[in-house]
Amino acid sequence: MLRTFLILASLAFSAATVGLSAAQDIRVPSSIAAGDEATISTTGSGKATFYLIGPSVSRKNDVNLGEEIKLQPRDVQIAGNYLALVCSGECRSANFYVSPAKPAALTFLVHPSRVPVAQGDAISGVAFPFDQFHNLVLAPLTVNFQLSVSNSAMFSRQVKTQDGAAWFRTSSGKSAGAVQAIATLNDVSTRRAVQQVASDPCNLRIKGERTKTGLLLETEPVHDCGGNIVPDGTIVTFTANEGDTRSTVDAPIKKGIARAQISGTAAATISVASGVVIGNELRIGAK
Amino acid sequence: MQSASKILSYSNSRRGAAVVALVLACGFMLSAADTPVNVQLNLKKAGPRQVESLTEQAILRDYRLAWTSIAQAFETSSADPLEGPFAGEAKKQLVDVAIQQQQSGLSQRYLNQTHHLDAVFYAPEGDVMELHDTAEFQLEVSTGGKIIHQEHIVQHYVVLMTPAADRWVIRHLQAVPQF
Repeated sequence: MLRTFLILASLAFSAATVGLSAAQDIRVPSSIAAGDEATISTTGSGKATFYLIGPSVSRKNDVNLGEEIKLQPRDVQIAGNYLALVCSGECRSANFYVSPAKPAALTFLVHPSRVPVAQGDAISGVAFPFDQFHNLVLAPLTVNFQLSVSNSAMFSRQVKTQDGAAWFRTSSGKSAGAVQAIATLNDVSTRRAVQQVASDPCNLRIKGERTKTGLLLETEPVHDCGGNIVPDGTIVTFTANEGDTRSTVDAPIKKGIARAQISGTAAATISVASGVVIGNELRIGAK
Repeated sequence: MQSASKILSYSNSRRGAAVVALVLACGFMLSAADTPVNVQLNLKKAGPRQVESLTEQAILRDYRLAWTSIAQAFETSSADPLEGPFAGEAKKQLVDVAIQQQQSGLSQRYLNQTHHLDAVFYAPEGDVMELHDTAEFQLEVSTGGKIIHQEHIVQHYVVLMTPAADRWVIRHLQAVPQF
């Protein structure tokens, strides 16, 4: 008789306990911005295990049902989808999204790092706004792109981000020098530099003289058609035709001038070229 | 002769049973990382640069590999599979999850993955591509070998990929409610 009573009492207690645990529910916030504090509310009573799985989090801890679960800012710094699970016998789940915080940084890619002057669509840039937790801000924002050479404006355009990206493309300027490229979004700005260099040589001219052993040749200062000095290292090819003999020397430009020495004593016709540009011809008599 | 035939028959039946057992065992041992990841890539919205054919193939290959790696990393709670296909913040975040899973005892299985990728932006110089992925998969969350959550997920991701030395890597992977 006593045994039967104990069994029934035990069953009743178990049923009550299960009933309390089964009553658990979980309620998550409808929206959270990255890095904000948040709370998840639970119903029921008794102990339970709480799991949080998100883009950069996977943790568990013990909670008391019926109490609020506080999410620290570091738990929800990364934008994306989060899964909250509360398990006590059975598990209840809820999903919520964390949205990016306000823009705090601009990733700005500019190409190329070195560009000849007066080239169409030669410079391009792309900007992506991120918040302080490196979440891509996808809401449309206006990015201001500005390019300048020696403090004189070369290009300016306001571009609205689409899917988190804003971009521009423009021609290079007329004069050689460092181009400052700036992308600005509210009080956030990022700078990049592009070196504009002279374009192909224009009016390539040479002069020469005979020496004891051959010919000493040099160009006049090599400019492009805009008057910019062609950068050092640009190769100039000197070709000497002496009767049936042909000699070729490649010489790099140094401080705007390329020099070459060609051996030989016969009368020679000298020609010069750099890239696709051909310069003047020079005739030098025999020694 | 008769006994030899019996022995052969017995041997065949044992071999058959062993094969069946092996197939069943393999079936049970099949991990999420072993299940194929289907990726479809749509380039109609890509611009301003046109996506070259070789780039298209590389994106398909590397995106599939990336999600195979995620499935493997989260199932085994190991950061090793994330070493190649990810860079920057994306890699850091995924590695954090794998490491925290080791501490919490949680693991996740991503089964039957299908990814519908739309390239929505390809930078003029080809140095970054933005993709929108509508991913579908079966998620299983386990702890201590017990499944505590199962869910069919349809999830949208915004993805930034950049070219590395020999592959395209995911630099940013962000789940969003909708595009």
